[in-house]
Amino acid sequence: MEPSAGSIAECVIGDGDKAITVGGEKTLPFHVFEGDMGNAPRIAFEVLDSAPEEWPEPLVKHYSDVFNDPAAWAQKCVKEFNAKAICLSLVSTDPNGANVSSADAAKVAQKVVEAVDVPIILWGCGNADKDTETLREVTGLVGTRKVALGPLTDANYRTLGATAMAFQYPVVASTPIDVNLAKQLNILLENLGVSLDHILMDPSIGAVGYGLEYTYSVMERIRLAALTQNDDKLSVPFIVNLGREVWKAKETKQPSDGMIGDQERRGVLMEAVTASSLLFAGGELMIMRHPKAVSMTEALIEGLM
Amino acid sequence: MYVQCIAESINIMGTRTGNAMRQRDPGPIVEMAHEEVADGGDFLDLNIGPARKDGTDLMPWIVKVTEAVTDCPLSMDTTNADALIAGMQAAKNPERHLMNSISLQPERMKKLIPVAAEAGCYVVALLWGVDGMPRDSNERAAMTVELCMAMNEAGIPNEKILVDPIATPITLGSDQVMSGLEFMAMLPEIVPGAKSTVGLSNVSNGVSTEKRHYLNRAYLAMLMKYGIWSAIVDTYDHELIELAHGERPELVKIVHDIMDDNDPDPDSLSPKELEYYKTTRVLMGKTVFSESWLEL
Repeated sequence: MEPSAGSIAECVIGDGDKAITVGGEKTLPFHVFEGDMGNAPRIAFEVLDSAPEEWPEPLVKHYSDVFNDPAAWAQKCVKEFNAKAICLSLVSTDPNGANVSSADAAKVAQKVVEAVDVPIILWGCGNADKDTETLREVTGLVGTRKVALGPLTDANYRTLGATAMAFQYPVVASTPIDVNLAKQLNILLENLGVSLDHILMDPSIGAVGYGLEYTYSVMERIRLAALTQNDDKLSVPFIVNLGREVWKAKETKQPSDGMIGDQERRGVLMEAVTASSLLFAGGELMIMRHPKAVSMTEALIEGLM
Repeated sequence: MYVQCIAESINIMGTRTGNAMRQRDPGPIVEMAHEEVADGGDFLDLNIGPARKDGTDLMPWIVKVTEAVTDCPLSMDTTNADALIAGMQAAKNPERHLMNSISLQPERMKKLIPVAAEAGCYVVALLWGVDGMPRDSNERAAMTVELCMAMNEAGIPNEKILVDPIATPITLGSDQVMSGLEFMAMLPEIVPGAKSTVGLSNVSNGVSTEKRHYLNRAYLAMLMKYGIWSAIVDTYDHELIELAHGERPELVKIVHDIMDDNDPDPDSLSPKELEYYKTTRVLMGKTVFSESWLEL
C-alpha cells in the first residue's frame, strides 16, 4: 500500500471543555505504526425522544426507568455510563408514526440539550420535509449550543445546510451506501457554503448479518480515495448510526436458549462487533445503545490507539 | 483510426420511431434513417425491443422500409430470435447487415448461429451468459472463447464476429469499466481477426441526461486505444462521431496519455480538453465519480 497523501478533516461538536473533535487522520484506521491517527474515535449514546415500543429486554432493563423522560435518559447516560456524547433520535416526529408536531418535539429536544453539557447530535426521523421543519424549530430554541444536525439528504440539504451555516453547526450528510452519492452530497453542501470541516458523513450502515460487509466495503473505498487519491471531497469523518440497526435485528430479540445463547450477551456482542468492524473501515463517531457494548468498544479503541 | 458508428436512434423506445413502428408508418423511420446516415452512421440499428407478439412481422417490415431508401448496412436488434431470423431472410443483402445479437444462452446460440452462418452477415457476440454479466476480464475471455468457437464451427469466420464486452455504468464503479477495457486488450490474442462493438451509452446509465455525452465520448476514446471496431452510438452527438471517425486525434491523444499514466498538466488544457481529462480520470477510477465530476 502506498503511503497516505491526504488527511481527514477535523470536525468539532459541542461546546467548551466537553466538546469533542473527530477526524484528523493521516493514515488508515489504527495504522498508528504508519502515520498519525488524529483523534480517537468517539461513541455517542442514543436517546429516543419518546418511549420506545419495540426495544428488546437487554436494552429495556437499562433504560426503562427513564423511557418517558428523554432529559433524564440523557443524564443517566452521562452520569452512569460516562457518555461523551448523546444522539437524540427524534423518532416521535415520523409522519408515519406518532407524528408529534415539530414544535412539541423541539421543546423536548431543548430540554435534553439543556440537561447535559456533552455534545448532542439531533437526528431526525428520516422524513426529509418533517426533519427540515423540526430541526429548524430546534435551532431557534437551543441557539448557541453547537449541536450537530442530521440527517441531511439530497432532498433537504439546501434548507438544513443554510440553517446549520447560520448557527455554525456541524451537519450529518446521509447517503444510501454509495460512494458516488456520498461524494456528490459533500460537493453540494460545499457549494452551498458548508465547509468540509463541518460535515460528518453517514454512509448508511447494515449490522453484522444485515449487510455489514457491503457497508464496510463502501466506507473502505471512501477512506482509501480520501487518503491515497487525496480526494478532499471525501476527506470527511464518518458518523455511524449502528445501535438502531443492531437492535432491530431479530437475533437481538430472540430469548436466551441453549442454541444461540444468552440474549443480552448476544445483542451486546452483535453491537460491539458491528461497531469494531466499522471502526476498522474508518468510523469516527459511533452511535450506540447498550452500555456494555459501548464500554467494550471504548476499551478496544483505547487499546489500539 | 476509424470506428464504425452503429446509429442507435431508430428504437421502439423512441418517441418518433416507436409509434411509427407500432403503426407501420414508414415516414418517421425513413426520415430518421436519412438523418443518421447524413450524420455519419455506418450502420443503422433497428431496435424493435423484445417484440414478443409481432417481431416476426415487424423486423422484416422495417428492414424492407430501410433497405428501400438507403445503402447503409443495418443492425437488426431484438431479443426475439425468430424476429432476427425473419429479418435476415427478408433482407436483400443480408451479408452486409449485422445480427444484434447472439449471447451465451444455449437456445439462442442453437437457433441463431446457423442462420447467421447461412446469411453470411456480421454478428454481435454478446458476452452475456446464463448467469448474467461477466464479473471480470477472465470471465469475459472464457465466454468469448466458447461463443466464438461455436460460431466458427458453424462456419462464421472471426472477421464477421463483433465481440461485445458489455459496458457497465460508471455508477457501479470504475473497476468494472476497467475490466472491460482490460479484456479489449486481450481480445486480439483470444480471437485473432475478430471485430468488436460496444453499447457505448451503457457507461453513462443512471447519470443525468445532459451529462451523459461527456462520459460516452471519453469512454469511446478509451476503447479506441484497444482498436474498438464499432460502437452503438447517438449520431446526433456530432463530436462523438468526429471522435469515432478519427477527426479529433488531439482529444483521443489526451485520453490515451492519461491511460498511460502520462497525465497532462490540467492547467495547460483548454475547457474542451479538460472535459476529456476529468472524465477519463473518473472512468479509470483515478478520481471517484460524482455527478459534479466536471466541476471539480
